[in-house]
Amino acid sequence: MTEIIDQHQEGKRDVTFRVFRFNPQVDSKPYFDDYTISAERGITVLRSLNYIKEHVDATLSFRAFCQAGICGSCGMRVNGISKLACTSQVWDELDKCREPGIIRVEPLRSLPMIKDLIVDMDPLVDKMTRYSNWIDSTMPLADMGKKEFLISEEEFQRYDKATDCILCASCVSECSILRANKEYVSPAVLLKSYRMNVDSRDGIHDLRLAELVKDHGVWDCTHCYRCQESCVKSIPIMEAIHAIREDALESRGPRDTSGAKHAEAFMEDIEKKGKLVEATLPIRTNGVVWTLRNLLPMAMKMIVKRRTPPPPPLVKSAKGIKVFRAMFREMTEHVKQDHLKSHKK
Amino acid sequence: MKPFDIVIVGGGGAGLYAAMEAMKTNPALNIAVLSKVYPNRSHTSAAQGGANAALANKAKDDSVEMHIFDTIKGSDYLADQDAVDVLCSEAPKIIRELENIGTPWSRMEDNTIAQRPFGGAGRPRCCYCADKTGHTILQTLYEQCLKTGVLFFNEYFALNLSVHGSRSRGLIAMNMKTGKVEAFPAKTVIFATGGYAKMYWNRSSNAAGNTGDGQAIAYRAGIPMKDMEFVQFHPTGLRKSGLLVTEGARGEGGYLINKDGERFMARYAKEKMELGPRDLVSRSIETEILEGRGFDSPAGKYIHLDLRHLGADLIKSRLPQIREMSLNFEGVDPIEEPIPIRPTAHYSMGGIDTDNFGRTVMEGVYAAGECACVSVHGANRLGGNSLLDILVFGRIAGHTAAEEAGKFEPGSISEEELRESVEEIRTRMQPSGHYERYGALREELGQTLALNVGIFRESSLLHKGIQDIAELKERFKKVRVFDSSDVFNTNLQQVLELKNMLDLAETVAVGALAREESRGSHTRIDFPVRDDEKWHKHTLATLVDGKAIPGEKPVTMGRYELQERTY
Repeated sequence: MTEIIDQHQEGKRDVTFRVFRFNPQVDSKPYFDDYTISAERGITVLRSLNYIKEHVDATLSFRAFCQAGICGSCGMRVNGISKLACTSQVWDELDKCREPGIIRVEPLRSLPMIKDLIVDMDPLVDKMTRYSNWIDSTMPLADMGKKEFLISEEEFQRYDKATDCILCASCVSECSILRANKEYVSPAVLLKSYRMNVDSRDGIHDLRLAELVKDHGVWDCTHCYRCQESCVKSIPIMEAIHAIREDALESRGPRDTSGAKHAEAFMEDIEKKGKLVEATLPIRTNGVVWTLRNLLPMAMKMIVKRRTPPPPPLVKSAKGIKVFRAMFREMTEHVKQDHLKSHKK
Repeated sequence: MKPFDIVIVGGGGAGLYAAMEAMKTNPALNIAVLSKVYPNRSHTSAAQGGANAALANKAKDDSVEMHIFDTIKGSDYLADQDAVDVLCSEAPKIIRELENIGTPWSRMEDNTIAQRPFGGAGRPRCCYCADKTGHTILQTLYEQCLKTGVLFFNEYFALNLSVHGSRSRGLIAMNMKTGKVEAFPAKTVIFATGGYAKMYWNRSSNAAGNTGDGQAIAYRAGIPMKDMEFVQFHPTGLRKSGLLVTEGARGEGGYLINKDGERFMARYAKEKMELGPRDLVSRSIETEILEGRGFDSPAGKYIHLDLRHLGADLIKSRLPQIREMSLNFEGVDPIEEPIPIRPTAHYSMGGIDTDNFGRTVMEGVYAAGECACVSVHGANRLGGNSLLDILVFGRIAGHTAAEEAGKFEPGSISEEELRESVEEIRTRMQPSGHYERYGALREELGQTLALNVGIFRESSLLHKGIQDIAELKERFKKVRVFDSSDVFNTNLQQVLELKNMLDLAETVAVGALAREESRGSHTRIDFPVRDDEKWHKHTLATLVDGKAIPGEKPVTMGRYELQERTY
């Protein structure tokens, strides 16, 4: 057999990359540039960008390092979703384009823009520092390096998946809270905090948790699950967030933070009436003083516009409340049992 | 800027360990870590396998002594035996220390750190965290550095060492975010910038930034490079990118097939077949391709790694990562098609010549990790010893610099020097009539290295390689930077990285031509056997008047006499 066989060499497809451009030195606002190249099967978005930089436009700027999905440098939005450019196949992306044949490439959101697809990662590092995202070892200094902690497989399993995080910031970019509040701790830092808090070698669990339950902390998450859906390493980030909350309720009690009290009030209403008693919700969450100080003007406006929620006595129980209550109690009982079991472990 | 006591260049495993240790040795010191990427992006994260240490958790009869012997034998007796002593005796302590500060090592049934067998090791002593060992070590070190308050200058690209007589006065670097060239006057400088195997470009498994920046800066400052000709090739790199398909694929029973459909390893290793040692398998694949039995494609010649006979279930359960990589980087599903592969430049044994304390010949300048050559790997590195090397010698270099910083006067870097560095960059930005594209030169460099300074070497090939590199260096003078902006000019950075690779490529080729023997990773067709009488020594390359001048240095022997290396 002398002829050259290459079963991988199949057709090529023309692809247009519509890339976000912004150079703070010359541009007053961002714009998009179109680059059309011919891409064969198996080519990644990053390789395409590299090709464009080398052959079409050397000014196109983006970060890339390992090119193998482990360093996390090339996080960007491809067709609107935050992901790694190096592990995204061009041909797969072609099936997801809003306009046929045009792949949109944009920088990550919620981090300051630097140039083109490059954003500033410093805010994320600052948050890692603020929330003590490290192990403060309980091993006495004199024994360091001399003996091992004995760690069970069970404990290892608790943080194994969380340590897959490569800080690519895809979750940061997708997080719906961060888009509204840049101070918010962020999913990546919550995940890392969780990972530290369940590690028996660590000695500052309480300190870290105290920081996490403050403003802009763990209670601000709205469970949109965008972080988990976009995680390039398929880490169940929401499980970590729930675990921190449960930990906070358990070890600090429900009454010491507005977030915890808010959750408690929800539970109370749902159990009693099957729906929310909105009029008193702010008082139960943040207290009378806070509510008067912060919500009185809004309450007045609502009265004027006749948009006030009904007072508590007028909130009737939802239809079928008895059946619902039975189900509700059964569920809470289940959750309690599960907790007991997991703690016995 | 206030002069620093220590400036560490590079934020991977070696750099971060150096920073942590220096802070511990003397918390009053003013220490900075410069890195061209955020430290957690460093290439340490790509090391999957693990780090060797004779903890004897798995094999109770393992010992530091056995680890020492395995390393020396693996090095084809070119490692310095006193350095290997340090590496292996420090190993258990350093692995435990990492464990103490949070590295999530996988565990044995008795809850101690897990260990597994690795190539060339007589006992299972490779400590690991699943297949993400390097990643978790890097995270741990970065976390601890944040905890200690190490001062980081992230995304700074190092340009030059400021040299005054026989000693350094600090470093000159470019802030990528602003494009400003800044002075870092320092009593001591530690280079920990990783390896140089990316000079093989698309035929390398390395990250895009493993361009040997630290080595090139030291080399241009007159510090000798050692054993540069030793570059380790891994047998199974993906055709298009050079990225690594781990040994697991062959371990589970994958076949290597040429274009005639033959399992050609039968010709080279009848018994072990695909599971022969790395260098042998690499040479066999390369022979098939050279003799015309490979496949051809626009992305280069290759052979097949066929996993189809293993079945979808096994591939999905035991080799999920390999399948993912194959899909992501070749667009090939190994359940349905064979994976196109070719050997790939993986690790650089050579580097900045240092002693066992990380010192170079220049006062106040130190080096550690893949960037340095102590030498503990000699002519061939064992799997699991590279992570260990960066940890042990990163720590030692940090300690030494912290102890010795007080000996040196604080340096100052003149405006004049800064201007020179800026000027050099400016000239690249100025448009001229005829220009060269850096991308083309970079690819040509990789091609000529793979072809002429690759797995098989021979006098005429090496002469051709040296000539090609010289021509590329000439053409490099006409390379133009098209991006004229100050903010994050990656175009400029990549051009400067190419310059570093070209300077070092010459030392690799010159060393390979000088060494007229075959040892470890260095295979000369015209000198097929190890020649201890003439070549049991290190080669040096020093820059004198723009040329790589070869030199040599004896190998430090110890308890182990020279023997033939057979497995």
